[in-house]
Amino acid sequence: MSEGGTARPVRPRPRLRTFGIAAGLLAFTGFAAREVEFAVSTFWEVWNNPLWEKFWPVPWDWVLDRSNVLDPLVETFQIAILATIVGCGLALPISFAMSRLTTPNRPTYLVSRSVMNVVRAVPDLFWAKLLVTAVGIGAFAGTWALSVFSLAVMVKLFSETVDNADPRPLEAARATGSRHLPAIRTGVFPTVLPEYVAYALYVFELNIRASIVLGLVGAGGIGRVLEAQRQFFRFDRVLGMLIIVFVVVFVIEQVSVAIRKRLV
Amino acid sequence: MIRFEDVSVTYRGGVQALRGLDLTIEDGEFIVIVGLSGAGKSTLLRALNGLVPATGGSITVDDAEVVGASAAELRALRSQIGMIFQTFNLVNRTSVLNNVLMGRLGTVPAWRSTLGLWPADDRERAMQALERVGIVEKAYVRASNLSGGQQQRVGIARALVQEPSVMLADEPVASLDPVTSRQVMGDLQRINRDLGITTIVNLHYLDLAQEFGSRLVGLRDGELVFDGDIADVDDDTFMEIYGRAISDDDLVGTEDDLT
Repeated sequence: MSEGGTARPVRPRPRLRTFGIAAGLLAFTGFAAREVEFAVSTFWEVWNNPLWEKFWPVPWDWVLDRSNVLDPLVETFQIAILATIVGCGLALPISFAMSRLTTPNRPTYLVSRSVMNVVRAVPDLFWAKLLVTAVGIGAFAGTWALSVFSLAVMVKLFSETVDNADPRPLEAARATGSRHLPAIRTGVFPTVLPEYVAYALYVFELNIRASIVLGLVGAGGIGRVLEAQRQFFRFDRVLGMLIIVFVVVFVIEQVSVAIRKRLV
Repeated sequence: MIRFEDVSVTYRGGVQALRGLDLTIEDGEFIVIVGLSGAGKSTLLRALNGLVPATGGSITVDDAEVVGASAAELRALRSQIGMIFQTFNLVNRTSVLNNVLMGRLGTVPAWRSTLGLWPADDRERAMQALERVGIVEKAYVRASNLSGGQQQRVGIARALVQEPSVMLADEPVASLDPVTSRQVMGDLQRINRDLGITTIVNLHYLDLAQEFGSRLVGLRDGELVFDGDIADVDDDTFMEIYGRAISDDDLVGTEDDLT
């Protein structure tokens, strides 16, 4: 292997800066822990809290009654599916408008970027609160809030894919004298479609979990029931619901992950 | 007729790719352009169909001015000019037929191509183009499942289906092996002869240029340094274009060289 005469390089020394950064991080962790009065002993306090006894036994009669858990859970799904379709549907043209490669012109590029920055700057829980205030408590507000959330997540994921799409088929399309939209449709869209579907499935997974959280602030679905039972201190019911939610979400995620693996 | 008059192209950043180029190409000619990489071969082709805007001079294709043309004028011009690429530039994740149909984008209404509703006679033209390059049996195969030579034939079919009057080929065989290179060059030559399509080919390999070309144009640092009959080309000409003697790297070689 060795070419005669070529000296081996000297092994570089670990740099002092690396140690400096590690020490700095350690010091900051200690400082932050003291500031928020974090201590390992607090785990024991939580563990020994008498609250936990209220979680048992699970009232399966109540949990398995259709109107208590299943119906709100179905509503959660309806919210998640609708929000995924609306959010991902809107994300498709916006992502193309936002990418340097596929934007039709500079104003569209700048406007779509600015709009998405504003949308992203508002936290999804705040969107939910805002929409609950605007259109009232219920699944409708939840659907809208979650659509905005889906849009933000989808654009973040998918616009990266569009940015990194192969520019060469697009050049070929433009060389045939194509207009802008057909060139994108035929030259770029087929190359990014599998990623688009995969991300939409991923957003659907996120939406199921997020719609439960949004329900806590009154935006419909299983989250609202969960919050109501918590307020009544019916932690046994809460645990039962969580078990059901866990099983269903787990199954959906496994199916979605399996499909996504085959796509990309 | 294609006419370059004092054409220059300066890229943003200041690189001068073409300097004061004058070149006239008659209808039906088969021209080979040679030169080192960076000599301006690709820029010359892309200036002709406006993919790269010329920053000075005038380029006319059948009396239509390319430099400063509007977007609509450029689209009309490009629909008359087929282009094939070194890396084929196919959409890998769709069928061969869909790739060939892209050649009709300049003429099919935008809503039809966007929705994928290609008119029947455009599909028929695409099939005929595939027949002409001999791979019609692959029409419904994904483009990524084809070999390099087959992919370039799809590229040629995509250009042919435009029914162009000019064909631009940017290093069409640089990604192919010697045997396939000769087949693809033969396809281009046959199309030029049978259909009378003016053909401009950028080539890196000198032996291929001599085998298939009739007129040779040499570029060096963005300037035209040779323009003449390929029969008049000798080692001194190559010295002038390349600034050095011919080496094996400049030849595609034959099958025998590989064994």
